[in-house]
Amino acid sequence: MEDDDLTRLLQQHASRHPASEGLRAKVRTQMTLQAAAQDRPPVRPRWRERFAALARIHPAFAGAGGLAAGIALTLAVMLIAPRLTPDGPVPDDLVAAHVRALQVGPLYEVASSDRHTVKPWFQGRLDYAPTVLDAPALRDQGFTLLGGRVQALQGRPTAVLAYQVRLHKIDLYQWPAERRSAPERLQRRGFNLVRWSDDAMQLWAVSDVDGAELERFAAAWRTAAAAH
Amino acid sequence: MTDARRFEATVLPLLDTAHNLARWLLRDAAAAEDAVQEAALRAFRYFGSLHANEDARPWFLGIVRNACFTALARERGRADVTLLDEDGWEQLEARSPGPGPDPLAALGARREQGLVDAALRQLTPPMREVIVLRELEGLDYRDIAHIAGIPIGTVMSRLSRARAQLKRQLSLAGLP
Repeated sequence: MEDDDLTRLLQQHASRHPASEGLRAKVRTQMTLQAAAQDRPPVRPRWRERFAALARIHPAFAGAGGLAAGIALTLAVMLIAPRLTPDGPVPDDLVAAHVRALQVGPLYEVASSDRHTVKPWFQGRLDYAPTVLDAPALRDQGFTLLGGRVQALQGRPTAVLAYQVRLHKIDLYQWPAERRSAPERLQRRGFNLVRWSDDAMQLWAVSDVDGAELERFAAAWRTAAAAH
Repeated sequence: MTDARRFEATVLPLLDTAHNLARWLLRDAAAAEDAVQEAALRAFRYFGSLHANEDARPWFLGIVRNACFTALARERGRADVTLLDEDGWEQLEARSPGPGPDPLAALGARREQGLVDAALRQLTPPMREVIVLRELEGLDYRDIAHIAGIPIGTVMSRLSRARAQLKRQLSLAGLP
């Protein structure tokens, strides 16, 4: 057989694997998210500018704008506050923080697959002691602890544990909370979030793995935490 | 044009080639998609390092193959496998042989495809890499050297050894 014969055989008969539509869509979504995270437009000043512009047209608007804003704010607080307060940072902030960590890093400031180095690292950096888990039960299910970091969320330093499953990163945010709640799954901008709380901590897992897998992570983590 | 637009126009058309390479290197559909996605993310982050008149194809495929070899190393549970030379790979492959040709598929209408695919799968990843890039994707030696991070001389010797192995195997199977 000559080289040319081989080339012909390969070109005619070898399987080709073009990218699926799903993969194309995933890459495009991922790119849009990255671009959005790089230049997020400021939201709040825009409203203020609008009211200021109205007030410039006629001073009466300043009062009307203020009144409308007051009513809107009261309504918003009444509707959202009971949900918002125990949760602290809202899901959108968590996703933005997760994307920022993936994009510019650091994903973790203390690297470890050993909780004996991660847990003490948080000392003196936070006014609470986060639960750090790297249980065999987690590792056996493919969830590896990469390390931990402290990230500001709504102006408060917050404990984050970075886990990995296959090629995907899972960020686990936690802060003190008193009530206990069962896991709940949310979705924001293509990312999955699962939140739950035990008696001491409110926990949020954020990742691009699919929702079922993130719930599996949450379940494994809760079981390991209970045995901890 | 914004960076995102420029990236879209440059890299998205390369996804077919990227996925074909990843799929042949990793031999697993989910792992190949993960590797391409990871490579695309990395490429987007470092898009600024691509010069305006530089060819994006070898640049991006280089990122893809690195993601694949990292995944292969992880799959084998050892971080240092990427540093292995071909002999190292051959020993590893010998310990974990891939599936041989499926006799039933070989009997059917897609006999040639089955035989050719099986022969390709039996190559070590470094040899499969140069064969896929050269014979399936039609890249020149210079680009292949750039992508695999090896000298052109090594590309040529690797190709000729891979071709010899493929010819031997396909002739035994009665092709062409």
